[in-house]
Amino acid sequence: MLLQMDNITKKYGEFSANRGIDFSLRAGEVHAIVGENGAGKTTLMRILYGMEQPTSGTIRLNGKEVSFASPLDAIQGGIGMVHQHFMLFPTFTIAENIVIGNEPGSGAGFDRKQAVKIVEGLCEKYGMKVDPRATVSSSAPGVQQRVEILKVLYQGAEIIILDEPTGVLTPLEVQELLDAIKQLSKQGKSFILISHKLNEVLDVADRITVLRDGAVTGVVEKGNTDAHQLSRLMVGRELMELDRKPITPGEKVLEVSDVSIRGTKGKPVLDGVNLEVRAGEVVGIAGISGNGQSELLQVISGLAQPDSGRIAVSGKDVTGMSTREIREHGLAHIPEDRYVWGANRTATVMDTGLMGHQRRLQQGGFLKLKDIRTLVSGWVQKFSIKTGSLETSTQYLSGGNLQKLIVARELEQGTPFLIAAEPTRGVDIGAMETIHGELLKRREEGTGILLVSSELTEILKLSDRVLVMYEGRIAGELSAKDATEEKLGLLMAGGTL
Amino acid sequence: MEQLFDLALINSALRVLTPILLAALGGALCSRVGLFNVGLEGFMLLGAFAAVVGNHFFGNVFYAILFAIAIVSIFSFIFAYLSINLQANVIVVGIAMNALAAGLTTFSLRAIFDVKGAFYDNTMVGLPKWNIPIIEDIPVIGPILAGLTPLVYLSFLIAGLMWYYFYRTKNGFRFLAAGENPLAAKSVGIRVRRYQYGAVLASGVLCALAGAQLSLGQVTMFTEGMTAGRGFIALVATMLGQSGPLGVTAASLLFGFMDALSIRFQGLALPTHFTQMLPYVVTILAMFFFKDKSFQQDALKQGSSSR
Amino acid sequence: MNKWTKFTLPLLQPIAAILVGLLAGAIAIMIAGGDILQTYAEMWKGAFGGMYFFTNTLSRATPIILIGLGAAFAFRAGFFNLGAEGQMVFGALSAALVGLYMPGPGWLVCIAAILAGVIAGGLWSVMAGYFDARFRVNLLISTLLLNYVAVLFAGYLVAYPLKDRSGSAAMAQSEMLDNSVWLPKLISGMPLHVGFVLAVLAALIIFVLLKRSVIGYEVRMLGGNPLFALFGGVKRGPMMLGAMFFSGGLAGLGGAVEILGSQYRYIDGALSTADYAWTGIMAALLAGSHPIGTLIASIFLAALQTGGMGVERNTEVPLEVGAIIQAVLILFISARFTYSFLKRRKGNKSDGTAV
Repeated sequence: MLLQMDNITKKYGEFSANRGIDFSLRAGEVHAIVGENGAGKTTLMRILYGMEQPTSGTIRLNGKEVSFASPLDAIQGGIGMVHQHFMLFPTFTIAENIVIGNEPGSGAGFDRKQAVKIVEGLCEKYGMKVDPRATVSSSAPGVQQRVEILKVLYQGAEIIILDEPTGVLTPLEVQELLDAIKQLSKQGKSFILISHKLNEVLDVADRITVLRDGAVTGVVEKGNTDAHQLSRLMVGRELMELDRKPITPGEKVLEVSDVSIRGTKGKPVLDGVNLEVRAGEVVGIAGISGNGQSELLQVISGLAQPDSGRIAVSGKDVTGMSTREIREHGLAHIPEDRYVWGANRTATVMDTGLMGHQRRLQQGGFLKLKDIRTLVSGWVQKFSIKTGSLETSTQYLSGGNLQKLIVARELEQGTPFLIAAEPTRGVDIGAMETIHGELLKRREEGTGILLVSSELTEILKLSDRVLVMYEGRIAGELSAKDATEEKLGLLMAGGTL
Repeated sequence: MEQLFDLALINSALRVLTPILLAALGGALCSRVGLFNVGLEGFMLLGAFAAVVGNHFFGNVFYAILFAIAIVSIFSFIFAYLSINLQANVIVVGIAMNALAAGLTTFSLRAIFDVKGAFYDNTMVGLPKWNIPIIEDIPVIGPILAGLTPLVYLSFLIAGLMWYYFYRTKNGFRFLAAGENPLAAKSVGIRVRRYQYGAVLASGVLCALAGAQLSLGQVTMFTEGMTAGRGFIALVATMLGQSGPLGVTAASLLFGFMDALSIRFQGLALPTHFTQMLPYVVTILAMFFFKDKSFQQDALKQGSSSR
Repeated sequence: MNKWTKFTLPLLQPIAAILVGLLAGAIAIMIAGGDILQTYAEMWKGAFGGMYFFTNTLSRATPIILIGLGAAFAFRAGFFNLGAEGQMVFGALSAALVGLYMPGPGWLVCIAAILAGVIAGGLWSVMAGYFDARFRVNLLISTLLLNYVAVLFAGYLVAYPLKDRSGSAAMAQSEMLDNSVWLPKLISGMPLHVGFVLAVLAALIIFVLLKRSVIGYEVRMLGGNPLFALFGGVKRGPMMLGAMFFSGGLAGLGGAVEILGSQYRYIDGALSTADYAWTGIMAALLAGSHPIGTLIASIFLAALQTGGMGVERNTEVPLEVGAIIQAVLILFISARFTYSFLKRRKGNKSDGTAV
């Protein structure tokens, strides 16, 4: 056994990201780790790569116990990591990117010609083609990834960690990557592949470990498993009690027609997305984050422009309009990242709550402070938002309380259409119940809600219809009745029903 | 002189551009690692003053320059510590440095020499002016290189060395990497902070040399505020030259030339204001066309919602 | 966070900075061979001792306040407008030109001159803003560069076409404005003029504007978190142009008011030597871009300068001791982020990145 990780636990305060995980790797093996968002995959790898320390548990390399205090230790131990977001230098050449840190040349001088020869040698040896003299910025993502892999090989890696490697690759490039992995493992290199894409994993992996909520739910061998079993292991939870009144949906409040965003270098970010939301229904979009959900929401809310397609809110074409105009046409938006989009850390609770309402609650250009105060205080009461006062700075609010404030603010708009993106991410149970209750209430009152969440339980609890996004497309649609974890998990991982 | 353009013009352009070139090279180093150093002006002023003080008390030009380097290094270290370790806004620190330099030099002029406005001492020896034996007789080159101080040659030498450092050595390569993508650089074990400190301290040394050229180069004296915005012109040269040694040298040559030209214009009673404006206008126009390299964009992103 | 700490904590930084500044000044005084207490006493007298010195300080503070307010407003909106020097100069020049060449009753010309100053400064500033919005030309650098263009161009105008040919003065300056156009003094015999009232009014107006108006709200949110503002529907483009015009207009007003109330003519370099623009920017930085804070900081910095002059007159210590205190103050304030930075670092260690 080349690598053995025993009983790895990682706690951040109260929260356990990894719970007693056992993981092993043989020489020349491709071992995949799969799981949803938040399953603990990245944490485990960060521990292996020396970027985090485990709270408890041991790591053994070749039988000897090791401890990595930093990535440099891991690199010296023969472990190389290809990050999800490439760590490359765009204006440097490929050769320079590969040899950096260990450049050839006598004394202080950098022998670039030698570097080119070295890279050509690596290409020969490992069967991967790159042009050493080309700059990274002019190279396609598939090529850039090969550069990353060659870089870790040059550094002497025997174990290569690939973190969600195919996010930016076209189908052709994905195939080339999988072939390269197979080739290299035949030559004795070992791979740890982190992915949520089951078809790729089933193609290339010798073993698959499935993580859920920080613990291992299963370890399966190649040939002994299929996508159904994997998605069950990945996602399987008890079905929640449905507690919604049946509703007859009304007029269309949102219509997305054939929306695409080209993206750089071949891979589309959004690929002909079609969907609609009617008054009084909750449409949930499930999917692992990074499959185009954020971009779709940005296009709908006016923060980004599509390359083609149409968006209509309450029947009116709003494609290309500014955020303010779209909001005026009847859109409210609970953003997916409350700190980036939803609030101003240095502002007071009152100021953060005012956003979107400031043009309404004014007289002659001046804010009607009394009315605003009454309004926001009302929210604080109703949603039990724990804050010192309305003048407290929002940075002192806990995640849950800030989210409640944002939800209250957006719901106050009373618009026919509402976007709720990750509405209960990082939020305590109590706040979650409150927010879910409010959303369902609005649904009964006739608001059309587009819910985007990486939490399947949330999707299933609230949605009337469920869509799954995968690689910029709507991979499938299920009604609430038909949707099961297993089916959704399959769609989310790129499988077909 | 009868004509506007003659060899003496190139000669005076070379003299004039030296402080700008030295400071601009320093600015380029800082800019490359993401620190937009607006304090070049202040460093240069301190260097000019310290060079005169050193010369006065040590009676030796060489020690004077070393003294100037030492003094400026104290301030460049403070600049580095505030900007890098304490993560203060590098622009604000630069502005404060300039103000501090202006106040300190004028104050010290009074406190040390008991003089207002300017200090000169007939006994002080300035930088030697070299008239190289054989070269001075060569028709075109001779007059161009007549009587230039060693610092003029040094500045071009440093520009060349910097080019060699960036594009031929391992260390220089890593320096560029640290600026291009600090995160990626750290992931391969490059100590980004060290390079940042090095850049700031080096720019201090270069500005000290620039100041020495100013106060010991032509006439040996220190005048209040004698840098007269050269530090900012140097910054402009850095930007125009895209923080590359060759570009910066070319930009400095251009500005030096324009500066020398405007002195000529003064002699001819023509308005110099427009030739003096030229460096700034040219740079603004250039900013429409040149795309900022990523490290410069990061450097300039300090605390603004413009980009 | 009880109420007492909430009130005193923000004051702690500036007070600590002032103490450090005074300490640095004390060291400088010692080096100059002066007596520390006596020097500081002279400084106080020079700034505030007696009606004349007090009004002189306030008069000096007037353009600084206005420029500082302009800078603070731009900073609040998140735009690093460093072009106050150029905007002030154009404002001053325009006011002088209108004051000299526009026909009509004195009071009307005066008002027109003030407006001209505001518009000139505003336009020069909004031009840089437009370059940024439309062509992505970096605002911080362009405003810095445009300062020089403005100062040189104004210098050219009063050295050649608009030069005051009367008298033997070889100075590059415009002609003197007629008395009827001057801004009246507040107290006869004292240097304090109506401009000061305008400055204080401006500070109050901006304070109210930022705190209670819709535009002020959007400006604050834009500066605090631009993405949040965009998300909420605030339109960045028009806001930037508006903020830049307002900011530059205030700087222009500062220049205009100085001409109409104090110098009565545009003298090449006079405004630059007095360093009004950079002092104003420093005041804004010291006060964290708070309008009332900027008002106070401007008066404080002006006092350092007039106090310094008093020190120079009556002791062996040069007036630059004030400049040294000022610069050390700013350096200390620039490190203000230390406290919140340290807090954030500690925070990061325990949060970590989940998943």
